[in-house]
Amino acid sequence: MSKTRRFLIVIAVLAVAFMFLFPSIQWYFLTPKEDQAIAVGSREQIREYARRMTYLVITDLKQKANEKDTSDLSGQKTYRLAIESAKKAYSLAKKPIPKSWDAVAILSAFSSERAMFDSIESRYREYVLRLKNVHANAVQLGLDLAGGMSAVIQADLPGLAQKVGHDLSPAEKEDAMKRAVEILNSRIDKFGLTEPVIRRQGEDQIYIEIPGTPDPERINSIIMGKGNLAFYIVDSEASAAVNSYLSTNPVGIDEQTMTVDKPGLVPEGEIVRKVYKKDSYGLDEFTGEYLVLQGTPGLDGSHIQSATVSADPITGQPETNFVLDREGGEIFYALTSANVGKTMAVVLDDRVKSYARIQEPIRESVRITGFSADEAESLALLLRTAALPISLSVVSQQAIGASLGEDAIGQGETAILVGILSIFVFMFAYYKWAGANATIAQILNLYLMLSVLTAFKLTLTLPSIAGFVLTTGMAVDANVIIFERIKEELRAGKSRAAAIHAGFDKAFWAVMDSNITTIIAALFMAQLGTGPIQGFGISLAIGNMTSLFTSLFVSRLIFDFETDVLKTKHVSISWRIR
Amino acid sequence: MKRIIRFSKFFVPALIVSSIIILFGLIGYFTKGFNLGVDFQAGINETIQLALPVGQVTFAGKGNAELTVSESQLTLVFSGAEAQERTVTLDYKTYPTIGDIKAALEKEPGIKVIIPEGSDAVSSSILVPTYQGNSLLSQNPVSLYRTPMNEDERYASIEIVRDALKPLGEVSVQTINPASLQRYLVRVRDDGTDPQFITNVSQTIRRLIEDKVGKDRVVVIRTDYVGPRYSQTLGTQSAWLVATTLILILIYATIRFKIQYAIGAVLAIVHDALIMVAFIVWTQMEFNTTTIAAILTILGYSINDTIVQFDRIREERKIHPSDTFVDVLDSALTLTLGRSIITTLTTMLAVISLFIFTTGSIKDFSLALLVGMTSGVYSTIFIASAFVLMWENNKAKKDSRRSKEVAKEVKPKAPVPAKS
Repeated sequence: MSKTRRFLIVIAVLAVAFMFLFPSIQWYFLTPKEDQAIAVGSREQIREYARRMTYLVITDLKQKANEKDTSDLSGQKTYRLAIESAKKAYSLAKKPIPKSWDAVAILSAFSSERAMFDSIESRYREYVLRLKNVHANAVQLGLDLAGGMSAVIQADLPGLAQKVGHDLSPAEKEDAMKRAVEILNSRIDKFGLTEPVIRRQGEDQIYIEIPGTPDPERINSIIMGKGNLAFYIVDSEASAAVNSYLSTNPVGIDEQTMTVDKPGLVPEGEIVRKVYKKDSYGLDEFTGEYLVLQGTPGLDGSHIQSATVSADPITGQPETNFVLDREGGEIFYALTSANVGKTMAVVLDDRVKSYARIQEPIRESVRITGFSADEAESLALLLRTAALPISLSVVSQQAIGASLGEDAIGQGETAILVGILSIFVFMFAYYKWAGANATIAQILNLYLMLSVLTAFKLTLTLPSIAGFVLTTGMAVDANVIIFERIKEELRAGKSRAAAIHAGFDKAFWAVMDSNITTIIAALFMAQLGTGPIQGFGISLAIGNMTSLFTSLFVSRLIFDFETDVLKTKHVSISWRIR
Repeated sequence: MKRIIRFSKFFVPALIVSSIIILFGLIGYFTKGFNLGVDFQAGINETIQLALPVGQVTFAGKGNAELTVSESQLTLVFSGAEAQERTVTLDYKTYPTIGDIKAALEKEPGIKVIIPEGSDAVSSSILVPTYQGNSLLSQNPVSLYRTPMNEDERYASIEIVRDALKPLGEVSVQTINPASLQRYLVRVRDDGTDPQFITNVSQTIRRLIEDKVGKDRVVVIRTDYVGPRYSQTLGTQSAWLVATTLILILIYATIRFKIQYAIGAVLAIVHDALIMVAFIVWTQMEFNTTTIAAILTILGYSINDTIVQFDRIREERKIHPSDTFVDVLDSALTLTLGRSIITTLTTMLAVISLFIFTTGSIKDFSLALLVGMTSGVYSTIFIASAFVLMWENNKAKKDSRRSKEVAKEVKPKAPVPAKS
């Protein structure tokens, strides 16, 4: 392989790794604390925040305009988003952009107050929602370093007893609780790298702690159960009748039981559900419309094999693709062929998420809109993991601080820093410039490892960081094997280029064999282990692979670069040789 | 050429030393067992509120009176044979201050409320709720508490609580946010020795914190008995996983080397795992997930070391096919010694730094690693290579015997020299 091509591969790998790491960098280093606090809030809070801020800015601008304050406001953080939307409004209206952004100039950009409010609000919304997304992709700090959220979850054992039709024996209770804990674990900790705490509490409760910022939506999405997703055929006539009746009698429906007070409107055995759509914050918003559905679902969620999320090519709205199992496909085909021309509704947890006319019979794959990307993803996750045996509900939840004291975290930081620096200093002292080469390789190794693990939703805890240092110490081994070989070749009287070439070649299988055996073991543990063992396996396997890449590929490239470009004649690898 | 170190001379004594250590480890394992850490044991989660007393309620009327404080209201239930059953609910919106609450409560027969001077205007919304259980009122005063009103009133911090609970040993303390609430989550493990664990520990926690911050300032909001975070099967699970992984390693090493090398490598790994178990059992170091990670790390480290060594033996054998196996082995071991020492040194630098600067489970982790790494380097030479040498010698003996026998049968008068 030519050196240029090898160089390009290295650059490409580093760039991809950077993409994974960028959200973490952006979140921890480039986002102000106050913005972080807003972005981690729930979507309701974000909506409230965006609206309040917009209101405050507009009132403030109006007051300035009244006071004939003509000072230029650009450059002030408070007005940045307002000025941006004003600029957009000017250019859309093809009006000249004012030289000075005083209050009047900003206010007169918009055709109406409504337009102004919407425009500025959407700026705030986009800013915060984008940050929220960055946060979701950033590496999280573990419970020991930064705390997280704890919740007590109640399992509905009487409900289960009712479902199975007899009182539960202690063994059955125990079994149901055990399975609930296992399923929660697989939902929260998919790769074993999140390190949550999940413990049984008393007879029928589960205590959980999840690292990361408290977000009630997350807990809800974890315990949502099967997600109760189902497809229903809509009774269009009854729906029209109900809607027209309710438009004149707004209180004609009991929201608790969803029953209309005028008898005969809803045919016997059919049910009424509200239709929701996503607002721009991704929150469910009642559209004011009701649908009357046939009492039994045409197909329930248990037939869904997988769910994936994509974007509609035209509108950009998130779409969810459900793939049905064979039996589900048959049922769905029969259902849709019998009901061509009618409307089908997708109902999640008693809310109509979307509905559409059936154009033609459908088998296997269903594409629907009406879910936000987050929702579709968590739904897909829920559908992939097993169904919960018991229905769960949140009893209480609270934000909790780090489980390690500040002094312990400080000690850990010192230890890790000293550890890693001493490895580098030692390598440099022992192998001279070749040691610097190894140091660069190891720094890149740390960087690659961290970025790949971020993609696996790694949570940084003190032990996991200590593990990184340890991996570095061990990954140096590949460099050492190669360097010792190069030294032997040099002692045998070979030239720089020849010694390096022979050194790498002879060391190749020693490095490969030793790493492959470790990777076999690690992947095996990642596959079969649970919780921390799985996490350990994944990090070990990834650490080994990245270290193979940096020691055999990157390190060699650096040597070749020195030989070819810098025209170095000697190898600075030992105090004794030359 | 460097001087070759005769490692093979020390194989037999090394084997004896290793066997003794492992035997001791196994004895320890069956007599003492592991000192299971907090993650493997059940225990209590207790939410503690460091509060300020804001009043005392007494009751001298007929029947029973029960007081419940929640986040939004205060409820008083009168019941019993002599009294009429009824419920008084004081909503904090209607009774916004402690003074209002006091006035309303004292309208009820037999209720008396004493509040400290100047507390009348304190907002009732910062009263500490009684989450678990109601207080039965009597002549003995029942205290009402509140959270700090502002930063100036805050007197506690997580460090104070941690410090106070030090006598309990391994205790986890976490702040419940926001920190200004002064609410803490305390977790203590139950090692199963005390049948009255919950009550005793709960009392001890309270007493220890009260000693630090003063009486009448500690409210136990709730105590829950929680099960272990990981079931003890995690340890067994990892042992099984290691066992099955060993088979995979055996297969790979057999393909890449020869069966005797594969067995040697696996024996070395088992040796290291057992040495670490011996160490962990006899120091009674806490056994938790970091300990499991330490053992697994060492297994990876040890196999790495062994394979590098074997690779060199194989290569040396190709270069010097006429040498006896023991010479090849010694020279390969000598050649890779530099690499072994340096790799071990760099890794140890990292581990020693962890050992020096940290406390608690990471310190234990690094200590276990230091032992394991030493064992890993040692086992490569004295277990893995020694086994291969034994096998080769044995084979050589067999071969020579067989060739002698063959020679006897075919040409009884002309003995054939033994193959090396």
